[in-house]
Amino acid sequence: MEKQKLAMLVAALALGGAALAPARAAEGPVKIGVPAPLTGSYASAGTDIANAAMIAAEDINKKSGVLGRKIAIDTADDQCDAQIGVQAAEKLVQSGDQAIAGGYCSSAAIPESSVFHDHGLPFVADASTNPRLTEQGFADVFRVIGRDDEQGPFAANFMKNELHAKRVAIIHDNTVYARGLAEQTRAALKKLGGVDIVYFDAITPGQSDYTSVLSVVKSDNPDVIYYTGYYSEAALIVKEARALGVKATLMAGDANNDPTLLKVAGPAANGLIITTAPLAQFLGGSEVQNFIKEYQSRFGHEPGPYSVYEYDAIGVTAAAMDRAKSTDPQKVAAALHQTKDYHGITGTISFNQQGDRENAVYITLIVKNDQFTAYKALENGHWVDVKAASKAKAG
Amino acid sequence: MSLFLQLLFNGLTVGSFYALTALGYTMIYGIIRLINFAHGDLLMVGAFIGWTLLTTVAIQHIPIAAAIAVALLLSMAATGILGLVVDRFAYEPLLRGSRLSILITALGVSLALENGVQLGYGAGFKAYPHLLPSVYLPVGGASLGVTQIGIFALSLALMLGLYLFVHRTAIGTAMRALALDQDAARLMGIDVEGVIRLTFFIGSALAAAAGVMMGLYYSEISFTMGFLLGIRAFTAAVIGGIGNIPGAMVGGMVIGLLEAFTAGYFSSRWSDVAVFGALILMLMFRPRGIFGERVVERM
Amino acid sequence: MRLGAFAKAGILGRGGVALLLIAALVFPLLADNYEISVGTGILTYAVLGLGLNIVVGYAGLLDLGYAAFFAIGAYAAGLLTTKAGFTYWETVPASMLLAGLSGIVVGYPTLRLRSDYLAIVTLGFGEIIRITATNLDYTGGPDGIWGIPHPVFFGYRLSTQRDFFYLVLGLLVLTLYFVRRLAVSRLGRAWLGLREDEDAAEAVGVPALRVKLLAYIMGALWAGLAGGFFATRLGVVNPQSFTYLQSVLILIVVVLGGMGSIPGVILGAAVVVGLPEVLRSIQGWRMLAFSLGLVVLMLARPQGLWPMRGRKVAVPRESPRPARSEIAAPETGYEGPLLEVEGLRCSFGGLVAVDDVGFAVRRGELLSIIGPNGAGKTTVFNAITGVVAPERGAVRLAGVPLIGRAPHAVVEAGLARTFQGIRLFRSLTALDNVLIGMHPRLAVGVVGTLLHAPHVKREEAAAAATGHFWLDFVGLAGKAGHIAGELPYGDQRRLEIARALASRPLLLLLDEPAAGMNPSEKGALMRLVARIRELGTTIILIEHDMNLVMRVSDRVIVLDRGRCIASGPPDAVQADERVIDAYLGRDEAEAEAVEAPLGPA
Repeated sequence: MEKQKLAMLVAALALGGAALAPARAAEGPVKIGVPAPLTGSYASAGTDIANAAMIAAEDINKKSGVLGRKIAIDTADDQCDAQIGVQAAEKLVQSGDQAIAGGYCSSAAIPESSVFHDHGLPFVADASTNPRLTEQGFADVFRVIGRDDEQGPFAANFMKNELHAKRVAIIHDNTVYARGLAEQTRAALKKLGGVDIVYFDAITPGQSDYTSVLSVVKSDNPDVIYYTGYYSEAALIVKEARALGVKATLMAGDANNDPTLLKVAGPAANGLIITTAPLAQFLGGSEVQNFIKEYQSRFGHEPGPYSVYEYDAIGVTAAAMDRAKSTDPQKVAAALHQTKDYHGITGTISFNQQGDRENAVYITLIVKNDQFTAYKALENGHWVDVKAASKAKAG
Repeated sequence: MSLFLQLLFNGLTVGSFYALTALGYTMIYGIIRLINFAHGDLLMVGAFIGWTLLTTVAIQHIPIAAAIAVALLLSMAATGILGLVVDRFAYEPLLRGSRLSILITALGVSLALENGVQLGYGAGFKAYPHLLPSVYLPVGGASLGVTQIGIFALSLALMLGLYLFVHRTAIGTAMRALALDQDAARLMGIDVEGVIRLTFFIGSALAAAAGVMMGLYYSEISFTMGFLLGIRAFTAAVIGGIGNIPGAMVGGMVIGLLEAFTAGYFSSRWSDVAVFGALILMLMFRPRGIFGERVVERM
Repeated sequence: MRLGAFAKAGILGRGGVALLLIAALVFPLLADNYEISVGTGILTYAVLGLGLNIVVGYAGLLDLGYAAFFAIGAYAAGLLTTKAGFTYWETVPASMLLAGLSGIVVGYPTLRLRSDYLAIVTLGFGEIIRITATNLDYTGGPDGIWGIPHPVFFGYRLSTQRDFFYLVLGLLVLTLYFVRRLAVSRLGRAWLGLREDEDAAEAVGVPALRVKLLAYIMGALWAGLAGGFFATRLGVVNPQSFTYLQSVLILIVVVLGGMGSIPGVILGAAVVVGLPEVLRSIQGWRMLAFSLGLVVLMLARPQGLWPMRGRKVAVPRESPRPARSEIAAPETGYEGPLLEVEGLRCSFGGLVAVDDVGFAVRRGELLSIIGPNGAGKTTVFNAITGVVAPERGAVRLAGVPLIGRAPHAVVEAGLARTFQGIRLFRSLTALDNVLIGMHPRLAVGVVGTLLHAPHVKREEAAAAATGHFWLDFVGLAGKAGHIAGELPYGDQRRLEIARALASRPLLLLLDEPAAGMNPSEKGALMRLVARIRELGTTIILIEHDMNLVMRVSDRVIVLDRGRCIASGPPDAVQADERVIDAYLGRDEAEAEAVEAPLGPA
């Protein structure tokens, strides 16, 4: 009896010890690991990412695959938790993945990045906008999304020079991403000068009612309210602000171009402006339309804000393998550094020395007739209509 | 002044939802001394059932008021049965055992409901159709929604109804007897398990009502909405004096107002600290809550 | 469910522990990095679980905010290394100390609360800590603290998964070393007593508030230790790691494994961390499977996977004979009456239960208090022992005023009692019941226990011997290892007397010791009372059995409706007209059949 229990304990300590062959096989499919929160409060974003990775791999496999081999996506749930993230990362390394493309919360992605770095695997982040990710001195960390310190100045410029705002309220939700963007925007506004920041504070995410915060913001009488958090709260804020009679222009950061926001906020969403990367879905292009169609038919809903980035993260990685003519992690990392004008569905992608996306460009979207529509872009210091800008380029 | 009024209205609206959720909490705790951590998640399930019904084509072709009524009642019935099933299979076998193992079971049920709904409906949040009128009345410089008044009135009505049920009916008397002394109640011929199941049915149905109302009012539901709401509602029940029905109502309002005024005059990011700080102070100086003195009336 | 499963050779022998340790040492050499990282996670949760086990498993205090201490340890390590230039090793005591101190902060205001309220308050405290860390700039806000250095061990910088596995294994061994000491100590027994019956523990001399506070502190220490490790392992600390769900997971480790059981907690950690990993292959379904698995496990094994079990108590072959100075009632040197009660008045919400009762008891005397139900007899006991505060009146034991003292302090002053309805620590062994009764007479503190100093071992051995003596004294010699709640009724009564005697009282209050006993048991009880008197112990007896009262008492006082209506030698009282009217009745047998109602105790 006692021996049995002892054996139980020993066995339990070795749990997870299902023997896995850790060899990075030269045959069979090329495995790309995708860490993302598949359960827990961030499961929604994580599932969007995993789904997009799946479609990206299939699209590549339909053509010719990578180096004549198929791509297989290997997802691992990190629950946005640092410790579980490390376990997930080790799991991906152990299952023989050749490269990693994914991640969501910076708080999990950064500890994960050091695991991948220790094993020499290249890591292309799709959604972590925290500047720290690429500032750890790792030569094998990249990101296809812009950084908070790029979007912030863009948003500030738009508020001052296009909206001619005199009084701005900035609301974040005290998550790493939202606070980072909020602070970068505030700093940029201060630098520009001539704009009063009349309100700067966080809400508690996960609640349903933000009317009280909005009542205070309303009494501060801002011209623009910029919310830098996620769409589930943004939808409520937009709806509740309009119900309260707030007249200010409402703006939100790049985590918000999700169709559900429009459904929740209803007509109140009209006029909402979002700062975002120049996503191809708003610029036209058949590839992205196919992606959206495919995604919708497979998963029954439209892709989330980060799906397109994950699609490109997989694409960039596959392209680098092709250029390196190898799946050797070090060669792939070197090839990733050479990425130049990769044509992705989030625009053209090049990486700088640090691994960040070069000259991450932003545009604004506006909600018109219950739909996100491309709005303004910054061209040579002037704000122009996006359509005109892209046409001018084409011409 | 207009800000104060506005915060007051907001606080009472949020408080109504806390109060409704707290009612179920307090009923179940009152009877079997279990912090039913799954209660908030039953609310969430109720909201999703309501969403399914309201977005189903069949219901979209009948008048709005009828559609709401049908969704509300069916969701209440279905969630009530779910609550009863949870009680029968997850809690009942443990009622005589350690209080902690049943608590862990409640946590397990809560996690299971969340993950089950996530798998069934997807992880994204869902948008309720906009069915309620968005008419706002100007009151002293603040704006007060007609639906806000309705929600407050409805939660008051449900509280009163529950109070009368517990204090004026034979089943209610059995509930109170059972709350005081389970063994004695059993000896008096009360079907203890039956009454407990009924309590779960009623509590869960109330939670579903709150869930559907939240969906209608805020238009947004997600599989994570129940847990934190449940925690705050439980706090409300404790502040009001756990086991006490009017206490749950008052506690809910206190929490709602505290949140609103913290957000209004201080900062929203400290609102939970204010709520839990108030709870700790309350328990230090008045450990039985606002209405806790009426121990005999506890049910 | 008893003490220190690990400690005594009972469940896991020394060989078993050694084998397990070797397995843990070899594991990282055979496993891959992923498995090692999971192993590290398991061991981290084992340390956390062992800490929480002290609070929940031993002391029975529900804590839903334990992650707060984990956070405090992690933040302390993070801040001290990045801002003050500490090394990891230097932060270890600091993390533990800070976590321990915050144990006082949470514990102090909440100790008087009932267990369920404690749950919500600790939950609130956990959230307050997390939100504060998120909101303050000093702690890095939502970003938290970055760039926490890895530890350097004699010039070697720990960095691989294997290094950290060995580090946390070392921390776990350290934790086990101390925690298992606590389990079988005077303090550990006091915790178990509190868990079983807080009022009874206090009434037999356990200072409940202080002992609970110690549980919080001792529990928090290990969360601080785990927190520091967490910080240095991941290099990052941020508030997202310390959510409410984290506290819940640690609680699940303890309850699922088996409350109070050290191997159970380790097994619980393996399940809580390992099961979701094993379930990775089913992707999004894994948390659903985990939560359903949790429910099923709790239903199948409500006591946990590896429940705490009693240590086997070896009954000594020969009855130990402690020196008379170890067992007899101590001398006081006080000349006056041993107990003086004057003008005692107690009322509950307008109902006067005891009014102007006064009496004195000489040293060595046996005084009986009789009277009809509701006469206030038990209330007098409760007022004397500090369970209820009288409105008026004075109580002095050997000249020392007792009013205003907490029940445990009354026991320290030399007064012990039994209860009308038996209040044993039902799931503990008979010996442990007696040892908890000795609490006020033992001296070992926390530090001594943790260090396991030689004087501690001596005291423990002597205490066990004396405990066996008391069991033998009341006639339970062979039953030291029996579970109190499973003993026959008469034995439970005797055990309660042994537990009271173990504090070596000057004065023993027996509340209806013969209730429910058969004639031969009553005879044995009478002989026992006589032998207690030989120890020099003074006795006050509440009893309805007039036959017994008349035979053992030196003096009898009669209470009726809260007032003292007669007092004197048994014969005189028995003949008193007022007493016959009020209590004895014309037919004595009638009164004997009456059972007293439950007292407020």
